[in-house]
Amino acid sequence: MRLQKLINYLNSITFELKTKFLIFIISAGMFTIMILSLISTFSIKYDFDKLFEKRTTQFVKLEDIKDAYIVNIQDTLIDIENKSITFEESKEVIVLAKQLINANWYEYKKITNDITEPFLYVSGIIKKFFTPNTGYEKDQILKINIVNNIDKKIVIIDTILENIKHSNHKKNFTRLYLEINAINIYITSLINYDLSLAINEKRDTQNVFNIIIIISVISIILVFLFSIILSVLLINNFKALHSDLELNVQEKTKELKNLNKSLEKRIVQVVKNNRKKDIIMFQQARFASLGEMLNNIAHQWRQPLGSISMIVQSFQTKNYLGKLTDEYIDAKTEDALLLANNMSNTLDDFKNFFLPDKKKEDFSIIDCMKHSFELSKYILEKEKIKFEILCKKDIKTHNFYNELSHVFLNLITNSKDALCANVPKDDRIIKVIIREYKQYIHINFIDNGGGIPLAIAPKIFEPYYTTKYKSAGTGIGLYMSKQIVEKHMDGSINQKNITHKIDNDKKYSCSLFTIKIPTNNIKVIDAS
Amino acid sequence: MQAKDLNILNQFNILYLEDDTELLRHTTDILEDFVNNIYPVKTSKEALDILLNKKVDVIISDILLEGENGIDFLKYIKEEKEINIPTILTTAHTDTKYLLEAIKLKVENYIIKPIKIKELLDTLYDVLLPVVQQKEIKKNENIIKTISHVTDSKQVEIIKLIINNLDNENIYEGSYTDIMSKVSISKPTLIKLFKELATKEILVKTQHKTYRFNEKALSSI
Repeated sequence: MRLQKLINYLNSITFELKTKFLIFIISAGMFTIMILSLISTFSIKYDFDKLFEKRTTQFVKLEDIKDAYIVNIQDTLIDIENKSITFEESKEVIVLAKQLINANWYEYKKITNDITEPFLYVSGIIKKFFTPNTGYEKDQILKINIVNNIDKKIVIIDTILENIKHSNHKKNFTRLYLEINAINIYITSLINYDLSLAINEKRDTQNVFNIIIIISVISIILVFLFSIILSVLLINNFKALHSDLELNVQEKTKELKNLNKSLEKRIVQVVKNNRKKDIIMFQQARFASLGEMLNNIAHQWRQPLGSISMIVQSFQTKNYLGKLTDEYIDAKTEDALLLANNMSNTLDDFKNFFLPDKKKEDFSIIDCMKHSFELSKYILEKEKIKFEILCKKDIKTHNFYNELSHVFLNLITNSKDALCANVPKDDRIIKVIIREYKQYIHINFIDNGGGIPLAIAPKIFEPYYTTKYKSAGTGIGLYMSKQIVEKHMDGSINQKNITHKIDNDKKYSCSLFTIKIPTNNIKVIDAS
Repeated sequence: MQAKDLNILNQFNILYLEDDTELLRHTTDILEDFVNNIYPVKTSKEALDILLNKKVDVIISDILLEGENGIDFLKYIKEEKEINIPTILTTAHTDTKYLLEAIKLKVENYIIKPIKIKELLDTLYDVLLPVVQQKEIKKNENIIKTISHVTDSKQVEIIKLIINNLDNENIYEGSYTDIMSKVSISKPTLIKLFKELATKEILVKTQHKTYRFNEKALSSI
């Protein structure tokens, strides 16, 4: 159950954390295993060395002492009893033996006292925690007792040996034999004790080794298990991720396909709407110009209408005064008919302007320009705007007359608005320069209305962009002009602000519209 | 057209300022039948020239002239040249801006184009009638003055006194003594004059010291 929980928990943590965790576990495990193996190797080596060196030297020393007692002293004494050697000779041997014994005993004690803790603490800690200390301290006391006893016996033997002044101390000899035997027994037990100690230590080492091995194995197994579990989890994660992604991709593909389908529909719809909008805009533009044109017609009709009504009334008054002569009637009728004819022509002009062009025709650009100015003559006169058209030779074009006229009218209206807003009445000028250059007709349309502010200049050809009051403009005049020039005439129209010298002296800041129309299919005729 | 006696117009000179040549010509053709003299001009410069050299009684001016403004021209002649001649404006615009300016300039009338000749003539009549009347009054005054010089000036003086002192109902109140204290005249001459007027029913005694002036009796003589 807990494992299940753990696995669940591991599953729940993020992918990145899992990977980090796996790397951590593996590296930590590897590190632990490495450390443990190092520790075990070192401690085993140390223990072995210690055991081997210390114990073997101990045994050697003790055996040496034993041998010295048995061989040097006891045998010498036996030799003295048997009179095979002199007492003096024996004395030397015994002194030598005593020196040997003392030296060895001292060394033994030293070695025994030299038992130091192993320098590797880990091993010591392991020992402390895992090895049972059964009877170790008791043995220590036993050992001290034995050592003390041996010390005593050595002293006793020494005193006995001191007492032997000559070879005939039988009683002393026998006692000496007994003491030597006793000391030998003690030494043997000491050897036994040390041996058991060595065995103990070996067992400890074995224990430490076993524990280290067990820990290593456990940690290896743990690391292995963890790695396996995490790897499995990761793989599962990958699989899940993969399938998720695949599912996602499938879904997205489906959505995309659907979107594509609906997009197609929507595009068709939008295109349809746009076309509708365009048509509406064209109509609006047409209506806007229609309004302006009606205004023009109204004024251009007003004057002759006034004259005609005056003529009609003159008949009445002349008749009343009895002055109505045939000559008078003829003259006035002729005048009236002329006026009526003019009015009719005006109407025709405007009517033609509103007829859509069916096909392209040959006409003179200058005529078209002049006609456009003629159509807006009323407003130009009213606002006191002077205009001049400069052209060195008559340039013919094959194009839509009314549409081009429409463009010119839009430009005139635009300039008129700028001039009315910015320039006093005595100084309003529109100047048009038409020339032919590199397969293009360039129509430069300049007014001294101060130019278009830079902030709005890039937007002037956008639909419904207007700086005028709502009533004054619909904001599609220039947009329409651009559409006409670009789409119907393969030309271009753009605007920039310039400083221009008009007439002779004065410099004005002007707005310049440049229309470029290709000159294909046109004939150039000299103006002369 | 018979409502007003347009014949009075034929003694006046008119300055007509209009930039539309056709309209100027046709209107002039009509007006010249009614007035003494018409000066048709197209620009304010010509108009000023006429004003300075000819006798002009009425100015008819269009507001929107070619390159100039009729109102500005009128302002100029009224304020700078101090020429105060009755003016009629004609315009195609019913703009109140022009109207207000016209009122400020004390323009006599304002005609909307297209011009109706009857309206124009009526307006001319209205504008010129006070001038005619003024002339008439002046003329009568002169007549009286002349008469008083050739006849007994005392009698004329007394008649003047009586007529000047008439109240709203043409009643004169006063005694011979009152009259004599104002005009040095003998009583018999005064009584003779009153008696003569009474027999012609021009001055009828209604009460003591109260006489009624009978206007109708004058025309029957």
